[in-house]
Amino acid sequence: MKGDMYLAWSSDDEVVKRADSGGVITSLLKFALDSKRVDAVLAVKARDGNRYDGIPVLISDPEEMIDTAGALHCVSVNIPRCIKEYLNGASDMKLAVVGKPCDMRGIIELVKREQINLDNLLLVGVNCSGTLSPVVAKETILKEFGVDPLDVVGEEIEDGSLIITLKDGTTKTKDLKELEEKDYGRRENCRRCEVKIPTMADIACGKWGVNSRKASFVEVCSDKGAQVFDEAVRAGYINVEPPNHKAIEERKRKEQEAIESALQWQETEFAPLKNIAVEEKFDYWQRQFSRCVKCYGCRDACPICYCKDCILEADRGAIEPGELPPTIMFHLIRIAHVMDSCVNCGQCQDVCSAGIPLARLTFMLNKELFDIFKYEPGMDVESRPPLRSVTDKELTMPGVELSF
Amino acid sequence: MIMEEFEPKILGFLCRWCCDLPDLRGILETRHPPRFCSTEVICSCGANEFLVLKAFAGGADGVLVGGCLAEECRYMRDSLSARKEIAALKPLLEAIGVSSERLRLEPSSPSESAMLAEKLGSFAQTIKQLGPSPFSRRRC
Ligand SMILES: Cc1cc2nc3c(=O)[nH]c(=O)nc-3n(C[C@H](O)[C@H](O)[C@H](O)COP(=O)(O)OP(=O)(O)OC[C@H]3O[C@@H](n4cnc5c(N)ncnc54)[C@H](O)[C@@H]3O)c2cc1C
Ligand code: SF4
Ligand code: SF4
Ligand code: SF4
Repeated sequence: MKGDMYLAWSSDDEVVKRADSGGVITSLLKFALDSKRVDAVLAVKARDGNRYDGIPVLISDPEEMIDTAGALHCVSVNIPRCIKEYLNGASDMKLAVVGKPCDMRGIIELVKREQINLDNLLLVGVNCSGTLSPVVAKETILKEFGVDPLDVVGEEIEDGSLIITLKDGTTKTKDLKELEEKDYGRRENCRRCEVKIPTMADIACGKWGVNSRKASFVEVCSDKGAQVFDEAVRAGYINVEPPNHKAIEERKRKEQEAIESALQWQETEFAPLKNIAVEEKFDYWQRQFSRCVKCYGCRDACPICYCKDCILEADRGAIEPGELPPTIMFHLIRIAHVMDSCVNCGQCQDVCSAGIPLARLTFMLNKELFDIFKYEPGMDVESRPPLRSVTDKELTMPGVELSF
Repeated sequence: MIMEEFEPKILGFLCRWCCDLPDLRGILETRHPPRFCSTEVICSCGANEFLVLKAFAGGADGVLVGGCLAEECRYMRDSLSARKEIAALKPLLEAIGVSSERLRLEPSSPSESAMLAEKLGSFAQTIKQLGPSPFSRRRC
């Protein structure tokens, strides 16, 4: 039933061995394929075993599911875009998708924009404390841990530490905050990300609350999720037991701690952008944007951007063709179009050839717009993005013109 | 050195239903804030994010949007969505160093041209105090 919670693990020993926390996800998805509930699974795996080179994979052979087992912390592939661009928005196949909270939220925003068909999706989310950019991860591991990045077989973020596991089975631990003060550690957007448990998915899995057991804490978040999960349990793919009070509390506490740390990072990162004098702000952003090479990467990566006939294109008359750097209009239009729904996935900033802090600006604006419109992007498929739409409720609110 | 007095460039996007443009222009003949240009829009939502941002990037020191009260808007939802758009553009302008006071939405009614002219005057005063927009400051 929606709302149910379990400690769950795979009944396949090989999966348990290769998976991150008991392999409930791998076995659940194998069941979904075996039982033909889905045509394919979109998951993430390391290309040729390289943990720093994660790629999205589309799997239709249930036997290949096991190759995706395990958590990759140096990987943040663009899952929403992958479904929209390359899988026809799941319009013609039933698809199970694994992803982090920001992936799930990007998908939901695209569902609202009719770019992805939610009816054909089964969303399986993993809790997430953050990911590292592969380049920064390698540097962190080499310089701060003093270890060859290729010797690492696992990463983990737990209780404010980054823990790496080496080939020989030993682990090494560093304080995450100390690393991040030196600009090592997680991606910037992850540090300030406050959605840690993907309850907007059909099923949310994580290891908070399992107390080092080879199992995951599962929260069933929709009736669709409940149906598949219950069937997988009945078919013997997954073992479950009810979580005790302590496990539930522990999970809640860890989530809360992660959120608090995120809020602190938001303070730290936004304060310098907000507290400088207006003229300085202007110069700062002019300088930043003057480095833009107009590669359109930010537009193409953002899960919120979806127009087929984008106004930033050279033939639309808004942006001078061939002009470099483009005028600030290029950035302002793009940001104005996505800021109400930004899910802080960081994809725009990851791809920016010029290293402009795009996600920082857009997410900061999104938080400010939240104060006005109370819209939480990617959380509820029923609520409409506030800009370019007006709800019946807003229409009948008295004096609404005064409140914006 | 004699400083020339700063005369703000203000662009108005005025809804054709609630802002009587000829009437307004008549009033402004006698006491208009200099360098006020206005354009008629079918509804205040015509002053969309693109036009407003373009006005600023093009050197406007202030942008005034005149639109109907929600209950008087012929297109109902549209004047509301204009209000939301403007409310959302303010933080964006502020974030990149353009004071959000430079963008103002004024509700109006067909018979209120005098009042609108009044509001325009006070808006011009605000902009005067703010000085030239950073976009035009850059250019000179
Ligand atoms: C980057 C990351 C951070 C996490 N942080 C936390 C945390 O802070 N707290 C917590 O409780 N749980 C966290 N988890 C979840 C936890 O580590 C387990 O993944 C979860 O409990 C499921 O375990 P499992 O054994 O069933 O997964 P498996 O059966 O091993 O399956 C894991 C699935 O995750 C997918 N996957 C792996 N890496 C990625 C990635 N980078 N992006 C998208 N999908 C991926 C794989 O494709 C696979 O399908 C995190 C997971 C990831 C990927
Ligand atoms: S933005 Fe949040 S959900 Fe996405 S990878 Fe970073 S921490 Fe995880
Ligand atoms: S603006 Fe950037 S961070 Fe926000 S949703 Fe788009 S790509 Fe993600
Ligand atoms: S990704 Fe960066 S360099 Fe490329 S167009 Fe966007 S801002 Fe410019």
